[in-house]
Amino acid sequence: MLRENYHAVIIGAGIAGIRSALDLAETGSDVLLIDRAAHPGGLLSRLDAQFPTDGCGMCKMLPLLERDSAEATCLRKGFFHERIDFLPATELSHLEGGPGRFAVRLKQTLQGVDPQLCIGCGACETVCPVDMPDDFNSGLSRSKAIHRVVPHAVVGAYVIDAAACTRCGACVPICPTGAIDLAFDRRKEFSILVVDDELSVRDSLKEWLLNEGFMNVQTAESGAEALTLLEQSDVKLLLIDVKMPGMDGVDLLKQAKADHPDRVAVMMTAYATVDTAVEAMKSGALDYLIKPFDPQAMLAMVNRVFQATVSVQERQVTAGAVILAGGMTLFDPGEGVNPYGYGTHPHVITSLAFERVLSGCGPSQGRLVRPADGKPLQRIAWLQCVGSRDCQISADFCSRICCMISLKEAVLAKNKSNDAVETTIFYTDMRTFGKSFEPYRRQAEEERGVNLVRARVHSVTASPESGDPLLRYAGLDGRMHEAEVDLVVLAAGFRPSPETEALAELTQAERNAWGFFQPQPFAAACSSAEGIYLAGACTEPVEINAALIQASAAALEAGRTLRRSGSQLALAEGPAAKGVAPDAPPRILAAICTCHGCLSETRNTEKLISGLTRDPAVVQVLFVDQLCGADGWGPLEAAIKDVAPNRLLVAACHPLRHSTHRRALSRRTGLPENLMTIVDMKIEPTEPQADTTARSLRTALGEHVLSASLQMGVAFLKHTDPTAPEREQVQRKALVIGGGTAGMHAALAIADMGYGVDLVEKENRLGGNLAWLHHTLEGHAVKPLLDQLDDRVIQHPKITLHLEHEVVNAVGRVGDFRTTVQNAQGRTEILRHGVTILATGGLEAETTAYGYGTHRAIVTQQALERQIGSGEADAAAWDVVAMIQCVGSREPSRDYCSRVCCPTAIKHALYLKEKNPRVQIYILYRDVMMTGFSESYYTEARRAGVVFIPYRPQQLPGVETSPDGIVTLSVRDPIAEVDLKIEANLLVLATGVVPRLPAKLAAFYGATLDSGGFFQEADSKWRPVDGLREGVFACGLALAPQTITEAAAAGQAAAQRALRILCHESLSAGHPTAAVRHSLCVLCQRCIDACPYGARSVDLEQRRLVVDPAMCQGCGACAAVCLNGAAILNHHGAGQMLAMIDAAVE
Amino acid sequence: MSTPATRHASATDTREANPLAIVQEMMRACIQCGTCSASCPNASAMDLTPRHLWRLVQLGRMEKIFQSHTFTLCSACYYCSLRCPRGLNPSDAMAEFKQIAARGRMRQYGDTTHFCRDFVDNVRRNGRLQEMTLMTAYFMHMRRPTLPLRFASLGWKLQSKAKVSLPTLRRGAPKLEALFRKVEEMEGDGT
Repeated sequence: MLRENYHAVIIGAGIAGIRSALDLAETGSDVLLIDRAAHPGGLLSRLDAQFPTDGCGMCKMLPLLERDSAEATCLRKGFFHERIDFLPATELSHLEGGPGRFAVRLKQTLQGVDPQLCIGCGACETVCPVDMPDDFNSGLSRSKAIHRVVPHAVVGAYVIDAAACTRCGACVPICPTGAIDLAFDRRKEFSILVVDDELSVRDSLKEWLLNEGFMNVQTAESGAEALTLLEQSDVKLLLIDVKMPGMDGVDLLKQAKADHPDRVAVMMTAYATVDTAVEAMKSGALDYLIKPFDPQAMLAMVNRVFQATVSVQERQVTAGAVILAGGMTLFDPGEGVNPYGYGTHPHVITSLAFERVLSGCGPSQGRLVRPADGKPLQRIAWLQCVGSRDCQISADFCSRICCMISLKEAVLAKNKSNDAVETTIFYTDMRTFGKSFEPYRRQAEEERGVNLVRARVHSVTASPESGDPLLRYAGLDGRMHEAEVDLVVLAAGFRPSPETEALAELTQAERNAWGFFQPQPFAAACSSAEGIYLAGACTEPVEINAALIQASAAALEAGRTLRRSGSQLALAEGPAAKGVAPDAPPRILAAICTCHGCLSETRNTEKLISGLTRDPAVVQVLFVDQLCGADGWGPLEAAIKDVAPNRLLVAACHPLRHSTHRRALSRRTGLPENLMTIVDMKIEPTEPQADTTARSLRTALGEHVLSASLQMGVAFLKHTDPTAPEREQVQRKALVIGGGTAGMHAALAIADMGYGVDLVEKENRLGGNLAWLHHTLEGHAVKPLLDQLDDRVIQHPKITLHLEHEVVNAVGRVGDFRTTVQNAQGRTEILRHGVTILATGGLEAETTAYGYGTHRAIVTQQALERQIGSGEADAAAWDVVAMIQCVGSREPSRDYCSRVCCPTAIKHALYLKEKNPRVQIYILYRDVMMTGFSESYYTEARRAGVVFIPYRPQQLPGVETSPDGIVTLSVRDPIAEVDLKIEANLLVLATGVVPRLPAKLAAFYGATLDSGGFFQEADSKWRPVDGLREGVFACGLALAPQTITEAAAAGQAAAQRALRILCHESLSAGHPTAAVRHSLCVLCQRCIDACPYGARSVDLEQRRLVVDPAMCQGCGACAAVCLNGAAILNHHGAGQMLAMIDAAVE
Repeated sequence: MSTPATRHASATDTREANPLAIVQEMMRACIQCGTCSASCPNASAMDLTPRHLWRLVQLGRMEKIFQSHTFTLCSACYYCSLRCPRGLNPSDAMAEFKQIAARGRMRQYGDTTHFCRDFVDNVRRNGRLQEMTLMTAYFMHMRRPTLPLRFASLGWKLQSKAKVSLPTLRRGAPKLEALFRKVEEMEGDGT
């Protein structure tokens, strides 16, 4: 059931869209989430595992606070949140208005199967005669025209591919719930008018159309007759001959369109009058057919028009803000030159297809075999940069994520084969630019034996003997090599998703040269259009964590707009339900779904009723049909009001399918959700009847088992504690530590939303690293950004600035922290706050390598930038400038890429070349990490004549200095095989970034540091700014090496995550949560180690173990490890479980 | 963000000052991926692979480049240009080297340069290729008495298969002359 007004409409339900939607919903916004696909999840729904965990973690995006607002389930199965409505197969068709008052028109394509009725039994699939390639498995397996939308889907499980469906109708009678509608009736009524002066054309067209099921076909032999017919009946489609005596086709078209502009017309023309037909399209004709035409082509066109008329549902809603999260799409390697034989060589597939090969629900059920012939895989090669970094196809950008995808796929293939499979990755630069990327590469290469070859494969041919793919490449040694493999995986790059162009037109959001949306300088989530925000890969191909950070930033910006435009965010405080007195005797209403009548026919209902009512707690047993739909919940609601039970037992199909209804029912009847339980009756279709193919439904549980299941439900409910969870007050104020880019953005974001912020900064000024940064790679000056942020922070009434203050101590938990800050004079102050954001920043790493500090011509990149900023840098005086990258970085001692050094070096090289075109610049590098669109600046630097020389960490360049100011570098060029002596006037070292986050400070807030000294996220992919300890967030260089824009986005993301907490007056635990029986607890602390959410700790004053109910997610790990039974899970207590077992075996 | 503009330098500006400059301009954006080397059908006969050569160009190693015969072996099949991911044109760069060698009358490329000139002159004069007169002119220019011996067995084989035509009348000459003049005009000093 859709609302009419939403706070935000989010276009694209991939992970970025889901993140934005959840972030907004968790801060009280009503969100409409749409996707052109029939299921949420986007590209990630096809990737089962992500590095570095080599597993999935999508569910980690779900709310952890107030978690009862969403269904805690696998996101691949479905997505439910009480404030989010999801519309599948829906596109934006029109957008009007501005921030705070957008009128949004949507077009939803119905999928032929009613998602409310479909129970996912699969009977339809068994009779469908259409065999087609399975898109979900990249065409590596076959599917039917009616198929599961994704393998795990629970709600709206089946859809029909309208283009492939032959409308044979076999699935309609076999569907036991009558969910399938092929629109035969509407087809019969669909009114078509054929206008042609030739009788034979009219007659044959009519006959073809009748055969196709279109019964309402009229004919006219002239324009005049046609106009009369048009007046008499509501014709939907006209087929008009161009050349007719009297009134010709085009005139008729114009008149027909003048009366009813929505009428569809198709022109029919002989070859000679094609121009006229094309002209007619300007007057509103949809298309034209050239005579003599193929009946199939004509019918396909008529079917298309019919489908568009009957299966498209228009909807109109209003929204305060719009977020574009359309993501990206895989490059099709079959396009253009196609040197790798994609689509022609059977053993060449894309990386996305290989993800399906690895998947348990993939074409080979996860066995590592070749998709085309089932041969076990022994040698696999990955080819990088397919469709990326290719100037020939206007793709002068890096798709950023393919390197890590290939590394991960190679490792997963190794895992699946016990390291037996030989894996080789052919690459140009291995772009391991993120925090955990470099160790993963090292592990893959050194421990798992993934073979990395720096070469670009020229072409893939078939081996003459075996037919296996044969790769030819030039090695670094200068020799040609040939390699035969079983399978070639193309690490295809990415392109903007197909609807980007249309969306750009509708929203007026600008795009860049490659068709991706163009964010504003330093504001990754802002588009050029007001009120339209950008999340995830629609702006640049990005990895999961970057997409989620940007999505949270987009949610923040949207929230800001909503607040500015005066939208009221209604956040229901406390449970809507009345609650039940703890000592009230259980009164259970049992509602059993008869599921389209199947139960009443096959079951002895009397026996079920008597079995249940034997227990005096069961006050009434009710049989209701179709509890999955509104038809069923109505009578149930009435019964609840009538009987006034304090527990509800429902027996129906998959509990997930009732998620939304259950929540609505709770709100309307006041019965708490945790006092409702749903017993899965395991509904399945019967075998086809002998005389017909029709199937009906039955429960897969035997009579006895069904009865036992119901009794177990009764036992569960009887023992459920009805006490509402306690709520803890929230200090609705934030503490931000660090006043750099990220800190200022975070502080402003929270303050703009009306909450107080204490901003603590060690220095006597704000800005952090912005103070010395001069300009960005893209050419934006940094000073104006700093001035603007500085002004806004200082003047903001909600921000209390504590300059020259340091944090000396802190205690507390989410919702209530107490932090002691101290100024330079030693005066202390205690701040109370509900959330903490660590934005302590980072510094350029110190070094003593390459003679740094011994000679004034050896400087760091930061020093060069300062010189450029102050005007000291005299490019004209320099003949030769050399730069060394990765100084002290990407080595076991500092095992991460600092990400900003390559762009900085190239930025400086381009600056020097511009000031002095004669200066020779040498950049000594290991892998050039110019990811995404920054790649184009790498190309520009190469074109400007900057010479890039690769070196290996095993053989570092040598540096000698001389008193005359010249620094001599010696390095061997591996390709030219020459020893180079570079006599440089200036040697610039890129020493990388180190975080400035003291372990002690982190420990005050229960946060930990990773191996590089950065803030350890709860999950590096799925919770990129959250600490494991709830209420503690990090952003900026304290979190990971980041650019200014990334740090700003991370600051906003941290703020958005913090707002989820601040928007509540009090926090309540979800159901269930863990508790401690102190009399049994021996403080062995095994449960503390076991808790994956860091919710348990020892209260040293009281000498007892405590559980933070807001952080506990009720997983039960503590209860499982506790030796004494002291750790218990409320609502799943031992007594309750034993009672359920008793009920089952009775 | 927009695509950075390609820098175009005028060919005539740099030709006199630094003969390598024009090739450097053409091949600066090369990232040494080796696609050209792997695609080259003649790479096995080359002393330096094309990738190696482009690297020397970037490093400005004139002497090493002009010790190598790599560019004389380029048959201008344009396979490398078709595949270059940087959108460069290595085939044209190879041709530029041939021009530099010819213009500089580099002794080490004497064979190739003379053969090329004599070939073109022969066609120009005769309207088609006359193998006998071509080889005669070539041997005369090379002024190496032993040179004909190196071609003796090849000559015999070709002759026995009737692949060597005897001198005929200069029928096509007047028509071709205009073409050659136009080329000269376009190329300026040309080879």
